[in-house]
Amino acid sequence: MLSPTRLLLAATMLFASAVAVPIAQAQEPKSGGILRVQQRDNPGSASIHEGATVSVNAPFMGVYNNLVMFDTKNDRDRMDAIVPELATEWSWSADGKALTFKLRSGVKWHDGKPFTSADVKCTMDMLKGQGENKLRINPRRAWYSNVQETVTNGDFEVTFKMGWAQPSLLGMLASGYSPMYPCHVSAASMRTKPIGTGPFRFVEFKQNEIIRLARNPDYWKPGRPYLDGIEMPIITTRATAMLAFIAGRVDMTFPTEVSPPILADVKSQAPESICHMGPTNVSVNLIINRDKAPFDNPDLRRAMALTIDRKAFNDILYNGTGSLGAAMLPAPEGVWGMPQSILQTIAGYGPDVAKNRAEARALMEKHGYGPNKRLSMKVATRNIQVYRDPAVILIDHLREIYVDGELEIVETAAWHSKIARKDYAVGLNLTGNGIDDPDQNFFENYACNSERNVTGYCNKPLEEMFVKQSQETDIEKRKQMVWEIDRQLQEDLARPIIVHTVGGTCWHPTVIGFNPAVNAIYNRYRYDDVWLNR
Amino acid sequence: MSSPSYESELVRAGARAEGLFGRSVHFVRLYPLGAAGAVIMTVFVLAAVFAELITANGPLATNASRSLAAPGADYWLGADVMGRDLYSRIVYGARISLAVGIGSTVLGCLLGVVIGLASGYLGGWFDLVTQRIMDILQALPLLVLALVFAAALGPSLQNTIIAISIPLIPTVARVIRSNTLALREQAFVEAANAIGMSEWRIAARHILPNTVAPLIVLATAQFAAAILTEASLSFLGLGIPEPHPSWGRMLSESAAEYMRRAPWLVIFPGLAISLVVFGINLLGDALRDMLDPRQRG
Amino acid sequence: MFLPWKSEARLGAYLVRRSALMLLTLFGISVIIFVLLRIVPGNIVDILFDTAGMIDPADKARIERDLGIDLPLPQQYFVWISGFFSGNLGYSYVSEKLVVAEIALRIPVTLKLAILALFFTVALGVPLGVISAVRQDTAIDYTLRVVSLSGLSLPSFWLALLILMAFVSWFGMIPIYTDTPDSIWDEILLLAVPAAAVGFRSSSLVMRLTRSAMLEVLRQDYIRTARAKGATRNSVNYRHALRNALLPVVTVLGIEAAFLIGGLIVTETVFNIPGVARFLVEAIRSRDYPIVQNLVMMIAVVVVLVNFAVDMLYATLDPRIKYTD
Repeated sequence: MLSPTRLLLAATMLFASAVAVPIAQAQEPKSGGILRVQQRDNPGSASIHEGATVSVNAPFMGVYNNLVMFDTKNDRDRMDAIVPELATEWSWSADGKALTFKLRSGVKWHDGKPFTSADVKCTMDMLKGQGENKLRINPRRAWYSNVQETVTNGDFEVTFKMGWAQPSLLGMLASGYSPMYPCHVSAASMRTKPIGTGPFRFVEFKQNEIIRLARNPDYWKPGRPYLDGIEMPIITTRATAMLAFIAGRVDMTFPTEVSPPILADVKSQAPESICHMGPTNVSVNLIINRDKAPFDNPDLRRAMALTIDRKAFNDILYNGTGSLGAAMLPAPEGVWGMPQSILQTIAGYGPDVAKNRAEARALMEKHGYGPNKRLSMKVATRNIQVYRDPAVILIDHLREIYVDGELEIVETAAWHSKIARKDYAVGLNLTGNGIDDPDQNFFENYACNSERNVTGYCNKPLEEMFVKQSQETDIEKRKQMVWEIDRQLQEDLARPIIVHTVGGTCWHPTVIGFNPAVNAIYNRYRYDDVWLNR
Repeated sequence: MSSPSYESELVRAGARAEGLFGRSVHFVRLYPLGAAGAVIMTVFVLAAVFAELITANGPLATNASRSLAAPGADYWLGADVMGRDLYSRIVYGARISLAVGIGSTVLGCLLGVVIGLASGYLGGWFDLVTQRIMDILQALPLLVLALVFAAALGPSLQNTIIAISIPLIPTVARVIRSNTLALREQAFVEAANAIGMSEWRIAARHILPNTVAPLIVLATAQFAAAILTEASLSFLGLGIPEPHPSWGRMLSESAAEYMRRAPWLVIFPGLAISLVVFGINLLGDALRDMLDPRQRG
Repeated sequence: MFLPWKSEARLGAYLVRRSALMLLTLFGISVIIFVLLRIVPGNIVDILFDTAGMIDPADKARIERDLGIDLPLPQQYFVWISGFFSGNLGYSYVSEKLVVAEIALRIPVTLKLAILALFFTVALGVPLGVISAVRQDTAIDYTLRVVSLSGLSLPSFWLALLILMAFVSWFGMIPIYTDTPDSIWDEILLLAVPAAAVGFRSSSLVMRLTRSAMLEVLRQDYIRTARAKGATRNSVNYRHALRNALLPVVTVLGIEAAFLIGGLIVTETVFNIPGVARFLVEAIRSRDYPIVQNLVMMIAVVVVLVNFAVDMLYATLDPRIKYTD
């Protein structure tokens, strides 16, 4: 929803970035210095392909390169602004079912071996679960379900052959989640001693303590990186981390770690720091178990959807700076967010909360519930603050429709098993999207056989629509199809979206060249254009 | 409170300490610090019991517009980031702390007494085995053991009580056992044995009442330890989960982040914990002086 | 040094019995911690999948096989224990590095913190306890008693938070660990603040115990005799009394070793110190069995050995003790 606050914030951000970027670029970049970025938790492994959170991407993206990348000069990741990295040029076949990349020559892995097309094939085979090198965990297998074959043509050309013409494949390959891995290093080794072609070499990873990267002197981009290295002390207590930033012990907070209330605090204590607050393309949503009472009853599902006051969530959690929308990231930051006119027709999204709740109560009463006969149930969520806080608010709202929700806190280790076992009635969940693209969102979260489709929602006709929109090259036509799919997903309560979150990053003015995106949080950590003005 | 020392003190002081009132006045005069502790504890218990009567807003009601509100007329101690009234949460938090404190202390002491009595009185292989188990439980620091149990059982009010009560058992069992061993040799026990009283009756009727004094002193110490351990567990995220207003959890992440802007979120819950434990310790000291003067100091 | 045992055989027998008991205790602990960890819902594989945001049953089964956690429990226990004796403690599930390496890396800083905290404890607790006892029932005594009681009442993490807050507000600096300091003196300075936070509580306990021990001793006959013989007040206090008052203090220091670990856990968390105590909490959270099991065993060994050392020290200090039980 475009509240005045959000409009003002968006305008300020656009103005600030319009002004700040040219100012920064006016100075000559200086070489040298070590950038210190807070790391918010222990990533566990250094292998980006085995991770699915920004905790792995932010520290380790500097070690790798992709075939292509989103241009970091823009404030958002744009499909029409993709720049070469390990690939120098690319082209689509006439029928759109083959994507060919010409690769850069003279690139070396950090251990000195040359980068060739074989490495690209090894990486894609690994992601598809073929080949000898096997990932221990493969969260993004669904991204490449359409790639049928990878063909090399000499050392510096590779072609991906697809089942249907899928323009979004280029976007997926441009995300921070798509680095190239070497053939000659096992997947296990990449977890502890990652070898890439990127601007920084891996130095050490002291678990729970610090991650260190050092400048790669043989980097293929001349004159880059500017930094001598990056150090990421792991500070898990957010309070301590903010104090450390204010006191100058770190140059930058962990990306997206700063919430709106904390931002005000940081700005008041360290007024010269530069802060960016924007959407994270992470949504707070509900996962509903349709196989078990009470939500095997569609009326009760609908009642729950109607009682949610999304604006209240936004106000409490994000001071109103979050955005309300459906599965795709809402405008203006998101390209595919449906317009308000369509959004407000969906049950529960209309602004008249009292009317929605009255309708919800009527549905509950139809099934015998009332002020004296209340429904007891559990709301499951994880034992992490960003999950707990919305769950508390949800329970508050459920009280309005004769439901007494009890919070069931589930430890991290038990969460996914519990959900896979369908041992819950409703869960408060967060879903992050790697890029702002319908293919990524729909196939990863709502396709019948996708591993990240945690509710097991399976709608075959709708899935056929996923494929149809994936092949559509006309953006406007594709948007219409996407909105229709999104609308159906919301009406069907596949994964009711409550609010799209915002997160902030703050850095000291000596850090120049870091430009966070407003439509994804996983893609801007190569750090090869960042320099320190001191 | 009929241990010999207290009575003799009364007589020596020449006090006309009849009835509860007289005794209370005498207690206050003799142990002013202990009386202060008793007052603190009474306030704490009353606040917990009558929470509904002394608070206006509920502890769980969120209110976006009053997020991080400073202490004022409507929110006496301020509000947290979700606009929840801190004063309400602290008063209802007294209930949680009381529940955990009493629950784990009673559970721990009960099991400790049973084990200690049986161990001391029966002796033999039972004593040997249980003593080794007590050794094992005591070899690990309280927080470490509580951490592992809390992680094993999962976060909930009941599980936290259990997790804290288990490490309390060995200390109680030890004290009760050594008291039992000492008393076992006394004449009245031998006499009871001679007339054919069953073991359990002897233990319950004759030995137990004489271990009450050190038990009370010990229980107050355990109560304090229980409250502090729960606070630490909740602070680390492994104790009482949302939305129960646990003082310890109020001090963790969500308060500490805003401590520059909203220091009341850090000051008041911590003050509550400290005051309550302080009161218990004062009371415990006085009780120890009164009931077990051998330990006076 | 006079030892109370009548013969070497008596001492030998005692040591043998004591060692057997210690081993039995440690064995019991190993079983308990092993079982407890496995009844915890969820294992390391679930945590691994957490970062992926989903669960794949086939992959999960494969990883469990690789890590050996699909074996029957008694077999897993045997593998662990036999590895213990050969020095092979296994690999961390999270970092895939040797457990020995991971733990050894973190011991030094915790050790330094603990030693500093103990130093603080004794340096503050003992003298104040003596003063409090010698000036019993005066204003100083009451003040010190109240102060020590508040030391025992403050949650240590609250104290740590307040200290951090104060440092940032008043000095504009934050005494947390983000990198290994350059020199040993820098490190000691950095650790002094958290050590004070941990030590405050311990010193309160030591103060109270020193006080009550001193009072106990001051009442003793032989002190009165010494006074009657005309020894000056000071020498009475500090020579005869202190030596005997040290006994329970020594015991307490032994108990404090265990107490300290609890305080270290929260302090290391707040001050971001990469020590073993914080590592333990992290490992419990991430179900890193090898780390938790071995770390808990090490803590138990330390506590058991310290208790043993304290008992021996007690024996040498107090000529009245004989080891008959």
